[in-house]
Amino acid sequence: MKAIIYLEDGKSFNAQSSMDTERLGEVIINTAVVGYQEMITDPANAGKILVLTYPLIGNYGIAAQFSESAKIWVSALAVKEKSRIYSHWQAKESLDTFLKKGATPIIYNLDTRSLTVYLRDNGPLVGIISTQEFETKKLADKINKFKKQPAKSLFPEVSVKKVKISSKIKGVTIAVLDLGLTQGLIKQLESLNFKLNIFPYYASGKEILAVKPKGLIISNGPENDPYLNTLAENISPLIGKLPILGVASGCQVLALALGAKLARLKFGHRGVNYPIARPGTFKGEITAQNHEYVIANNSLRKIKDLKVTAYNLNDHTIEEIESKKLKLIGVQYNPVTTGFCGVNEVLIKFSKLVKPAFRRAER
Amino acid sequence: MIGSGPIVIGQACEFDYSGSQACKALKEEGYYTILVNSNPATIMTDPGLANVTYIEPLNIEVLTKIIAKERPDAILPTLGGQTGLNLVFFLMQTGVLKKYGVESIGSSVEAIACAEDRELFKQAMQEIGVAMPKSGIATTLKAGMKIGLEMGFPLILRPAYCLGGNGGGIAYNQEELEILLTQGIETSPVHQVLVEQSVLGWKEIEFEVMRDCADNVIIVTSMENVDPMGVHTGDSIVVAPAQTLTPEEYNNFTFLCKKIIRKINISGGGANIQFAQNPDDGKIVIIEVNPRLSRSSALASKATGFPIARVATKLAVGLTLPEVMNQVTSKTTSFFEPTVDYCVFKICRFTFEKFPYAPRVLNTSMKAVGEAMSIGRNFKEALQKGMRSIEIKRFGFGADGEDKITDAELKNPEPLLLQEIKDKVRIPNDERLFYLRYALKAGLSIDEIYSLSRIDRWFLDNLKQLVELEEKIKEFRNAKEEDELKIPLELLAQAKVDGFSDHQIAFLLQTKEAKVRQLRKKSSLKAAYKLVDTCGGEFNAKRPYFYSTQETKDEARVSKNKKVVILGGGPNRIGQGIEFDYCCCHAAYALKEEGVDSIMVNCNPETVSTDYDTSDRLYFEPLTFEDIMNIIELEKPLGVIVQFGGQTPINLAVALRQAGVNILGTSSESIDIAEDRKRFKQLINKLGLLQPNSGTVFTFAEALKVAREIGYPVLVRPSYVLGGRAMEIVYEEDLLERFIKEAAEVSGEHPILIDKFLEDAIEVDVDLIGDGETFVIGGILEHIEQAGVHSGDAAMTLPTYTLSPDILKKIREASYSLAKELHIVGLMNIQYAVKDAKVYILEVNPRASRTVPLVSKVIGVPLAKLATKIMLGKSLKDLGFTEEVIPQYVAVKESVFPFNRFPGVDVMLGPEMKSTGEVMGIDLDFSSAYIKSQLAAGQKVPKKGNVFISVHDRDKRDVVFIAKKLKDLGFHLFASSGTASVLEKNNIPVKVLPKISEGRPNILDLMKDGKIQMVINTPSGRIPREDEVKIRSQVIIYNIPYTTTIFGAQATVNGIETYLKKDLGIKSLQEYHKIKTKKVK
Repeated sequence: MKAIIYLEDGKSFNAQSSMDTERLGEVIINTAVVGYQEMITDPANAGKILVLTYPLIGNYGIAAQFSESAKIWVSALAVKEKSRIYSHWQAKESLDTFLKKGATPIIYNLDTRSLTVYLRDNGPLVGIISTQEFETKKLADKINKFKKQPAKSLFPEVSVKKVKISSKIKGVTIAVLDLGLTQGLIKQLESLNFKLNIFPYYASGKEILAVKPKGLIISNGPENDPYLNTLAENISPLIGKLPILGVASGCQVLALALGAKLARLKFGHRGVNYPIARPGTFKGEITAQNHEYVIANNSLRKIKDLKVTAYNLNDHTIEEIESKKLKLIGVQYNPVTTGFCGVNEVLIKFSKLVKPAFRRAER
Repeated sequence: MIGSGPIVIGQACEFDYSGSQACKALKEEGYYTILVNSNPATIMTDPGLANVTYIEPLNIEVLTKIIAKERPDAILPTLGGQTGLNLVFFLMQTGVLKKYGVESIGSSVEAIACAEDRELFKQAMQEIGVAMPKSGIATTLKAGMKIGLEMGFPLILRPAYCLGGNGGGIAYNQEELEILLTQGIETSPVHQVLVEQSVLGWKEIEFEVMRDCADNVIIVTSMENVDPMGVHTGDSIVVAPAQTLTPEEYNNFTFLCKKIIRKINISGGGANIQFAQNPDDGKIVIIEVNPRLSRSSALASKATGFPIARVATKLAVGLTLPEVMNQVTSKTTSFFEPTVDYCVFKICRFTFEKFPYAPRVLNTSMKAVGEAMSIGRNFKEALQKGMRSIEIKRFGFGADGEDKITDAELKNPEPLLLQEIKDKVRIPNDERLFYLRYALKAGLSIDEIYSLSRIDRWFLDNLKQLVELEEKIKEFRNAKEEDELKIPLELLAQAKVDGFSDHQIAFLLQTKEAKVRQLRKKSSLKAAYKLVDTCGGEFNAKRPYFYSTQETKDEARVSKNKKVVILGGGPNRIGQGIEFDYCCCHAAYALKEEGVDSIMVNCNPETVSTDYDTSDRLYFEPLTFEDIMNIIELEKPLGVIVQFGGQTPINLAVALRQAGVNILGTSSESIDIAEDRKRFKQLINKLGLLQPNSGTVFTFAEALKVAREIGYPVLVRPSYVLGGRAMEIVYEEDLLERFIKEAAEVSGEHPILIDKFLEDAIEVDVDLIGDGETFVIGGILEHIEQAGVHSGDAAMTLPTYTLSPDILKKIREASYSLAKELHIVGLMNIQYAVKDAKVYILEVNPRASRTVPLVSKVIGVPLAKLATKIMLGKSLKDLGFTEEVIPQYVAVKESVFPFNRFPGVDVMLGPEMKSTGEVMGIDLDFSSAYIKSQLAAGQKVPKKGNVFISVHDRDKRDVVFIAKKLKDLGFHLFASSGTASVLEKNNIPVKVLPKISEGRPNILDLMKDGKIQMVINTPSGRIPREDEVKIRSQVIIYNIPYTTTIFGAQATVNGIETYLKKDLGIKSLQEYHKIKTKKVK
């Protein structure tokens, strides 16, 4: 059936949908060619209308082991063409079926390229997807109503309800503050032989220290959450007490705790092709990123012992901070890759902070 | 810098593209570049591109001399294909690099060895734990047989240091293994063959990877072969990016790529890495690494907008990826993995029709001569555009009125037909895509087709969607052609989204193409243009290029400047290749100099013309009326240039003019006069010129009559074709019927032409430029072989070497009167035959010819550039070119042939063009230039040894002198009994060899044992004797120099004499241009 995606500034695009639906959310664009299953199940994308720039989606179907969490978090998925069949030996069901089970709409036959270019030039914007309402005035009203709602934290939804401990591992204990932890990060940390104590988002510094962790990881999760400042206050007593790694929005929490400020990008970094470079070297890395907020550069100046260790080569925003003295690392990019290709350098670095004798296992 | 030499199968103009980019990149960095390439048709050998340009044979001897003279600091081997790579490797092995202190950059000699040497590569992969198919390495037939028999069939054979799977293949049994091993060991320059367990039917996935000296690595793109393992990737249908991989698989692949490029240690350049993956369990094995720029990297560049060659060159001289800007976005650096928001489709152009005796199957030895790339917002659109782009007179995925098997036949297919379809789906061949359609229409299930073809179900389902859509459109078919169209607009829109052409829709609805176009325009179903911008729209790119699709928003960037559209030549094929791309590029350069926007339309990813910075705007589109008109209606140029893209745009000229398009240069009226035999004959008569007697016929009965009137031998040919397709010399009436039939098939609705064939005439090619009033001859080229050999295949010399001043005067007069009468504005090519002091006109082409780049380089005048400026209104006087230039040195063009790709094919030359590329030998005298051209063409010209001679009766007089000279030069002669008796009568000692069926050792045995260093064998007629075919096909297997014409033999023997007596010198093009030339008004 006919569907529309209408943006808060009045711009709209036509599409089609196979189910009756109406969804609201910030419209975000991801430029990765593959990874639709991971993206829709990543809690960091909770509540967003996710647009994929790659036009052919669903080709390799869905396999349970690739989900980043137990459910679909996006508000809706918007694509150019969804594949009629899926073809892969690991796949167990189609993207369509998976979305249907998760009661998440997908709109297709959308000119995703034009929408992307529009958002690049005019974003970030909230949008509404509808198969019921096509009158622009009414759609605009709905968006206004949505925007007026008091900001609600997503952490209660995405975080664990109580402390969860990795069962099979006998290695060093580290604490993980779950702001929307993904399976990908869990797998990598466990492959480093860390025994994870996964804490709900509201855990206090005291509760965390009580399990005597050798390090703390603040996970990735939704950005710009109203609870962020509280989180920063919660963890600030831990700074200097144990090695901390903040990942993506976890990095933003860390930065806030250190007294830095955040800024919003006009067009978020969302894709798998972002170059980061280390100051004073020619060496960089291609990273996966999914963020629209960054640490404001000038807000770092007053913070002692903290260095920018990597910046985005395209727009020179901060992608990694480090304090050798306080044993802190914060990364805006996603240090996670699926598959056996193993562990990101930054996790190795963190491991060395946690257990100085750490040596990368032969893979 | 080393170029890749002549265009051959597996090594085409993609290396001109990468080489030109490299020249520009080096210039930007302030390097002094010395370029060596034997191919005169390239852009890279334009005298302005490198500081010093050598058009010399690419061999160790010549390169050593150039290195000794120029003393370069470094050598860049990675831009010249396998040729460049191998040469540098052997320069290292022979100690030349060390002696002159030359560093190999881009890929170290160690890296080359690690990737190319099968043993070292295997070991390296084992060390980093990358799986390979089970394999063994053989350097002898015996060892290879042992390895193969132990491993079991089928087996894949890959000779080391070889190009495009050359000399390799798939062996299904002991006999095939023996043949392939023999061939492979001979073909490999290090005589090493990998015998590999086959992974037929696995997915074939490729990656383009780059690494800099700071160890930054990026993956430019993935590519997936639609044809699974078993078909050479150069022959496969390829999509980019890969469509059926999960993120986990992607990551596994990229992880392996990084590991491999680090292990091989490419520290400033790129590599192409090929994997096979089992579709049933995901197991990955590595197939091959190319530590250099390749055909795939050219495709990857064009598919993503990321200029791999430019970046690779910068990395080779020590820059890092973050330091090299991405000029397409101009907001990012090259340290950025391109992402796409479209689907890229590559499909190959084959020429099996030129080699009717070769089996029409595809395997691991590449056979394609060209390719086209298309871009769409989905796979279906890209595929349909791709099918239009390869110019096989198809307008999409079938359903265009050209299908071999009709819908009615497919409804309830006969068992025999069904079997044919299944076979063609199972065994890879050039028509497989069409047979997949037939299979779907005949009701075969996706699973069934998958189990036959192993083509991924995802692709098959997309094909099925096209078939279903086609059926839906057909429901609205008109009863009569005049009826109004009934197709619902949504369905029409859907058809356009999935890439159906107006032509297909018109066929399905039984109406005219124009009517569909009208309806679309009325309903604003117009093509929209989207960008190739490397970043999926994330940045506002500064220098993108464009492709059409069916979307809501048009992102075209139409300028208000004056602009001109240049129509390119489409995919390379025999008869139309790099020469025309050279002309198109020059047109773009000329437009730039004149301040006019150039708009390039082409679909060939291998070319310089489709580089992002050649023109102001590039449209990566098929060259069909619909696709071109869409662009013209959008851009509204002041005119269109059709002269430079070969026959492709010329064939469209009339339709474009009828649609109101302004054709720049020579009018389409004049084009029609030149192309239409009847009108042309009138013109010739009017001017009082000579033409061989001829007639135009439609039926066999007419042909019989005409041929009798004219008298045999006659030349039979279809009109409006390229490269002498289906052209034949017929000596007797018995054979006429067959050739008329063949010609009729090719000619279609156009008439068939019958000309008197002028036996033993000398052919001459003239390239001419005109501004409508002034006309100047660019060059007069004399063919070395006698008439009857297609001008694209013949060796030629500039200036002429045997023609008398009187004849030359006649040729000049005829040329100028023709040019004047046709009001040539731009370029023209005329072919003459000279016999008994008479000059006959064979053909006039009112367009740039194949020889324009060569002539331009030899005389030092850029003819295509001048022609473009003329089309914009300049006169030759303005441009300062008013006199014919006669160089005081000699250039010889020689052709190279793809016979080694088509086992069993006869190598004899005829009126149908068979060559894929050309080389040039240039020197101060004819024999030196000729022998250089032979060396450049890859002939192992012998200095001593045994020569086998067997010639046709009419050549027996001439061969006496040739044989005598060979004897005097110290060669030993062997001959067939007929030829031997003539030689013996002339007191030339010769050993007689028995007929092949009559005794041994015969000539085949001697060739096999390496006892024959050269073969002179002129064919005894159109239907050759069995022995001759065997001999001539064997010279290919053992790479023995051969000539099949008496004039070729004369020139070769004279050349050998020169070669023995003096050392061949080297001179750069720039030095030649300083030599004072003679001028003729």
